[in-house]
Amino acid sequence: MTQSPTQPCPCGSGLRRLSCCDAPPGTLRPTEAIRHLTPLIERATQALRTGARAVAEQLAIDVLELAPGQTGALAVLYEVRKSTGPASAVEALIRRLVALDPNNFWALNEITLLLLGKGSLAEAELHARNAIRIAPEAPQAHNLMGMVLTEARRPQVGEYHYRRVITLSGARDPILLANLAWNLKTQGRMEESRALYQEAGRSGLPVMQTLLGWARMEEADRNFPQAADLLDQAERAVPDNPSILLARAILLGRMRRQEEALAVLDRIAVLTPDGLGPNELLEKGRLLDQLGRYDDAWVAFEHGKRRARELTGYGYMAGHANEMARRLKGFFVAGRLRTLPRGTLREGIAQPLFILGFPRSGTTLVEQTLSAHPRIAAGDELPMIGELTDLMPRLFESPLSYPEALAELWMGDRREGLDTLRDHYFDKARQLRVLRGDAAWFTDKMPLNETHLGLIGLIFPQAPLLHVLRHPLDVVLSVFSNHLTHGFFCAYALDSIAQHMVLVHDLVAHYRAEMPLRYMPVRYEDIVERQEASVRSMLGFVGEDFDPGCLQFHENRRYARTASYAQVTEKLYASSRFRYRDYLRHLEPLLDVLGPLIERLGYSV
Amino acid sequence: MVPLPLGQVWRIADEYQLAGRLDEAEGLLRRTLEVAPQQPDALHLMGLVAFRKGRVAEAASLVEQAVQHGVDTPLYWRNLCTMYERLGRYEDAVAAGERAVALDPADAGAYHNLTVAHYRRLDLPASIGCARHALALDPNLPGAHFALAEALLLQGDWAQGWEEYEWRFRTAGAPQPVPNPTAPQWDGAALPSGTLLMVADQGYGDALQFCRYVPWAVQRCAHAVLACSPELESLFRPAFPNCRIVTRWEDAPPHAAWIPLSGLPRLHGTHPGNVPAAPAYLHADPARAAEWRARLDTLLPRGFRRVGIAWAGRPSHNNDTNRSTALATLAPLGDVPGTALIGLQKGTPLEQIGRYYRAAPLLNLGPDLTDFADTAALLAGLDLVITVDTAVAHLAAALGKPVWLLLPYAPDWRWLLGRADTPWYPAMRLFRQSAPQDWAGVVADAVQALAAEPASAPGTAA
Repeated sequence: MTQSPTQPCPCGSGLRRLSCCDAPPGTLRPTEAIRHLTPLIERATQALRTGARAVAEQLAIDVLELAPGQTGALAVLYEVRKSTGPASAVEALIRRLVALDPNNFWALNEITLLLLGKGSLAEAELHARNAIRIAPEAPQAHNLMGMVLTEARRPQVGEYHYRRVITLSGARDPILLANLAWNLKTQGRMEESRALYQEAGRSGLPVMQTLLGWARMEEADRNFPQAADLLDQAERAVPDNPSILLARAILLGRMRRQEEALAVLDRIAVLTPDGLGPNELLEKGRLLDQLGRYDDAWVAFEHGKRRARELTGYGYMAGHANEMARRLKGFFVAGRLRTLPRGTLREGIAQPLFILGFPRSGTTLVEQTLSAHPRIAAGDELPMIGELTDLMPRLFESPLSYPEALAELWMGDRREGLDTLRDHYFDKARQLRVLRGDAAWFTDKMPLNETHLGLIGLIFPQAPLLHVLRHPLDVVLSVFSNHLTHGFFCAYALDSIAQHMVLVHDLVAHYRAEMPLRYMPVRYEDIVERQEASVRSMLGFVGEDFDPGCLQFHENRRYARTASYAQVTEKLYASSRFRYRDYLRHLEPLLDVLGPLIERLGYSV
Repeated sequence: MVPLPLGQVWRIADEYQLAGRLDEAEGLLRRTLEVAPQQPDALHLMGLVAFRKGRVAEAASLVEQAVQHGVDTPLYWRNLCTMYERLGRYEDAVAAGERAVALDPADAGAYHNLTVAHYRRLDLPASIGCARHALALDPNLPGAHFALAEALLLQGDWAQGWEEYEWRFRTAGAPQPVPNPTAPQWDGAALPSGTLLMVADQGYGDALQFCRYVPWAVQRCAHAVLACSPELESLFRPAFPNCRIVTRWEDAPPHAAWIPLSGLPRLHGTHPGNVPAAPAYLHADPARAAEWRARLDTLLPRGFRRVGIAWAGRPSHNNDTNRSTALATLAPLGDVPGTALIGLQKGTPLEQIGRYYRAAPLLNLGPDLTDFADTAALLAGLDLVITVDTAVAHLAAALGKPVWLLLPYAPDWRWLLGRADTPWYPAMRLFRQSAPQDWAGVVADAVQALAAEPASAPGTAA
């Protein structure tokens, strides 16, 4: 069905389509021509200020129907829609405002927070950076960057901006301190984090967000009674809050009090009109799984994934993924690779050690194990390889995109291009503080980095590549029971997890056949069954002596930031192997897709 | 369209088949079989087409149907013998061959097919007997002479074997060592003022094995020229300073005689007791070897034994189905602790590397190897090479590198029978299958031997 341009705009702003999302550029009037509308705009602003929302709304709509680009009226209507909804109108209006008035700091602040809330971190970062460009001395600009980068898993840089806020504002605002504390928690700097939470807690009324973040920090640091106490305080301040209750359920789950945790989740379900959200449902499934109620757990996982799809509109981008794989396979072929240069070794600096693998295959376990070694630092999920694939055309001044932009390496002035990429990687690693002075290596365990194994092999031909393998059905099950966005959003449905897994393994097989790689497969099951032998073999492959500390990885106090953080603080448990058997009935439909991969990897069903 | 009588359709299909127009033949036969699904000649011909297209199992099944629906036609049995042989069904091959010669005792071709089937079962007396029977019926049957040569050579009867081996270039489809020869083949007599053109014939392995005779030949002529493929040039040039090396026929000078390298053992009078086998008669370039060694040091774990592997030879070799295997077969070598595998494989079998997931790292260097001199330089940095019967085995052994050769049950004649060593290469150890296609057994033997070897210290490779 097509809608008439004179009908109300589907975004829900209250404007007609032609004055809103489908406004042709020609309808933007010159400022001079619409100066007579200024009194109306002033009245609208005044009405908003005095709480006369309906008046403000009508006046803003009147102005915008005449002059759809009038930014003052857009701002008023945006504020109105922020309280009335719908969300689509809020987003459309603020986007339009920022596009029309890119130097409006208030608008940048609004859109950044909105995108941050949606989880659109890359876009949020663009606007946060603009905010700093406009107002380099404004504390809020740095606060935005701090928030965005903390969420975007670059907390080290985020910390810099939070500390700029303190310097520029000359104050230690409790909420800022709590934000910085959360940032430090994600860096695993628990003591510093705790001190800041305590400082924030002393300076006034307990803020629910602060208490919640603090509780989650204590939970991550395994101080369960302290976490419980903080959640009690938060609940006294704000009773029946779903976020607090979810944190409570997670805490109870970690304390192996699953029945109580499920009861808390049931309370959330009663309190929220739409029932449990995706995170709550997945947590519920995991609790049921621990209780051995596998069929109920499966229902919860399925429901959680369905809710996630409904709420976000995300789903596997199969077309993009296949096109990417096709182009990578087409470019990375032996005949071409022979003619391309290789990155050289940068001396005097710790070297990357890549831990590759599908999400939930055991990469965190391998990192915790290896980083217990005195010469190996933990780098965590480093975003640089993915970034380099985006940056390459710019760095190489190429009209082509990745991977074809690697063709620039044939040019006389780009022969050292791979070293440019290498140095970019090291610079970012330094910013992220993963280059520890006494370590010879740092790990990079960004899942699915193996998608770009060819690029890694070109830039770092000598880097050890540890590929963590685990029974594909166990991996699928684990991805299905957790929330992840990696891999073209494949985790949003069961069949697309399997599809993407096959696609990535095929790519790895392709790279391995086409080029020399310092590659070694590591089986998760071997680490569980024959821990010392497999640790020795990994370290031998890396070229480091065995260190018994690696066997005690669960005592490695380093906080792993990813979804696996709870598992890697426990000793190895054999029940983590072949969990799929309890769900075989539900996983069976995947065997058509996964059967050949299972066999190729040396597993069976 | 005017309908053609079935017999005429069949004849046209046969003409297509003989002319190598297999798709057209297949299309015609498919339509014929739709009308007459049990027509034995069409089934048989379809079987031949499938066989020539490499679909051997389907071919055998079609000819079995032809046998079932036709009269006891000796031609069907004769072809079935070869099809079974290619499928590794040697007992069935012998039975089919025996049926063919029983039905038509005058069919020399059937005897030839039976010769090969007996060879695969290592029944050499029967193989030789059939070959001689075939040659009695048709003394100029090149395939039978060649099959006889292989059997005689394999059992160590090299004097007789070399003579029969001279028929190798006369078998169907065999490339000629010299196109349009203008001079006679050399008889071994001295050429005090003439030029001798030597040709690196057959596969790379043959060239690498028989190039040991080049100095012997150079001594017997005024000027020596060796024609070889470009891939061998930079390896051969420093090895034979007194011999000019050419890689294009138009660069070959006028000559008094020519000889393929594989013809030199006969002229030399080689027998298992007098093989000229220096510990190393080819050498890696020291500078290139140092480069490769440095690269290996950065890519492989310290202290691991460096074992080069290859699992497949050139697919056009007439016994490739038996001598080549899959990487998966060799993969148990990757379970031996302290081992790093280095893939020396070239060509399409490389893609199997993506499916190797054993514990030992497998460094795939095949894509980076440019020619045999490059491969030699890489081999210099390895401790051991474990491979099927392909060129890299000869190269490594000629360099004096320890080589463990994994052989099929009925090996190529040059490896003789019943011994773990070879007069051709002092540093080579042979691992033989105890039954046809028993790769698991032969690899298990190699795994056991590897596990028993003392682990090497880094940098000990010679």
